[in-house]
Amino acid sequence: MRRIYESSALRRDDDEPFSPRERETEPQSMRSIDSTSLSRRLVPDRLCHWAISIDVSTPRSTYPAGVAIPFRVTMRNAMPFPITVTTRSPILWRWSVDGLVDAAEIPLHDPPAEPQGFRFDRGERKQFTKRWHQHFRVADDEWEAAEPGTHTIGAGLNVENSAEKGLYDETTITVEPDDT
Amino acid sequence: MALLEVNDLTVKFYTQEGVVTAVDDLSYRIERGEKFGVVGESGAGKSVTALSLMRLIESPGRIESGEILFKGEDLLEMSEEEIRDVRGNEIAMIFQDAQTALNPVYTVGEQIGEAVRHHLDYDEEEARERTIQLLDTVGIPEAESRYSDYPHEFSGGMQQRAVIAMALSCDPDLLLCDEPTTALDVTIEAQILEELESLADEFDTAIQLITHDLGVVAEVCDRVMVMYAGSPVEKAPVEELYYDPKHPYTVGLMSSIPRVGDRRERLQTIPGTMPDLVELPPGCSFHPRCPYAEDVCTKRDPPLLDPETGQDASGVDAERAAACLEYTGELQEGLDYEVTVGDGHETRADATAPNPEGDRR
Repeated sequence: MRRIYESSALRRDDDEPFSPRERETEPQSMRSIDSTSLSRRLVPDRLCHWAISIDVSTPRSTYPAGVAIPFRVTMRNAMPFPITVTTRSPILWRWSVDGLVDAAEIPLHDPPAEPQGFRFDRGERKQFTKRWHQHFRVADDEWEAAEPGTHTIGAGLNVENSAEKGLYDETTITVEPDDT
Repeated sequence: MALLEVNDLTVKFYTQEGVVTAVDDLSYRIERGEKFGVVGESGAGKSVTALSLMRLIESPGRIESGEILFKGEDLLEMSEEEIRDVRGNEIAMIFQDAQTALNPVYTVGEQIGEAVRHHLDYDEEEARERTIQLLDTVGIPEAESRYSDYPHEFSGGMQQRAVIAMALSCDPDLLLCDEPTTALDVTIEAQILEELESLADEFDTAIQLITHDLGVVAEVCDRVMVMYAGSPVEKAPVEELYYDPKHPYTVGLMSSIPRVGDRRERLQTIPGTMPDLVELPPGCSFHPRCPYAEDVCTKRDPPLLDPETGQDASGVDAERAAACLEYTGELQEGLDYEVTVGDGHETRADATAPNPEGDRR
């Protein structure tokens, strides 16, 4: 086993017996590139948007009334290099039910208008699982149960015209009325 | 004027999974010399509240709205330089884990002395003397020789004392204690609580004590705020909270304190876990775990209410408040629990709902 005193990591002299030695060359393992900014500079927006795909799915297509509906949002970078998509605010992506963001008729968040980078590693697949409790938020402190019937659950990256850019997907589920 | 007044504080973290509302519309105040307890499970927003007071929330967290008035001045409006003058000097914090709070490559004495030199303009020698005196005050034996020890040479209890000494070094007006005794054994815990109390009395320091140990709260605090999923669910003077809890969550917390001599086979718990703060359930956040939840609890999120009158009590001045629809008269069955006070001044809250697992979603 190699001991610390056999390595050249420490410099020893009478005043400072344990000071770390200054490196003359940087080891290969410490090389790194800021792929976020590199991606922003080199990869055109259109390619960024084309590279990312998004998919929304539910385990079943029909649910009884009052049951929380789980849905899975899968985002994938098809490129063999990292991609950074610039979003409108620190909220990177959003989900909605029947077009209502976060299933709420009122805006729940007021994020600062600061663009943010949503980073995907090469070939990375991100998966988020959410649940819709079959309620719509109608006021800060009030919710209403959703009517039985067909509802559309969608999710998209927080960019302008996400649907046109292929950064939005949706799925349709049916809520069956409660017989009792 | 209250020493500290927090109005409508909201703190959010923007993560990949979604927006985490760690603190939601929180208001409270602390008077000079008062000992204020904040209790709740892990993830209730207690530590984030304390870090917000020091303006130590880091990206991706943001203090979205509200004001934090300390001696009448809004800490959120201050420049970075101004807040650095307040931090450690007028408001000090005892961090949760002393071992990680201390810098391993500096001696303990140097770390305490740094604050003294920075805030009080002491020179090296004066700072050293003051530090040794502080170490002695918090009960570190042979403080003078321990001054030049590194944190790893201290035991867990001594590290915690060193962190307390650091927090007390500039005689702060407000001391934020974030679970100061969680990592310690009970004997050291008792000693440290005693030290905190006596030091607070001596310097007239206000203490905000964050803990999930209700026994510690009962011992130390004057008033208590119970938090759940980022929001306050009950505020009360400590005796009223123990003898007459008004929120089912507080009742659940009380009844889950284990007792010696209890004949129950299993320890009582609150079923379920704290909800994901990215995705709170609709209505009252506590309803999926509440044995008294009714349909209305899934549709309305009650603000803090005066339990007697049912009036809104979400402001800073409310002494007694609970966030439950029981007090708006909207619960049909009501809250069905009783509090029995044992011989040894022991409080016991029994949730006697017929079906605690009820039809809740």
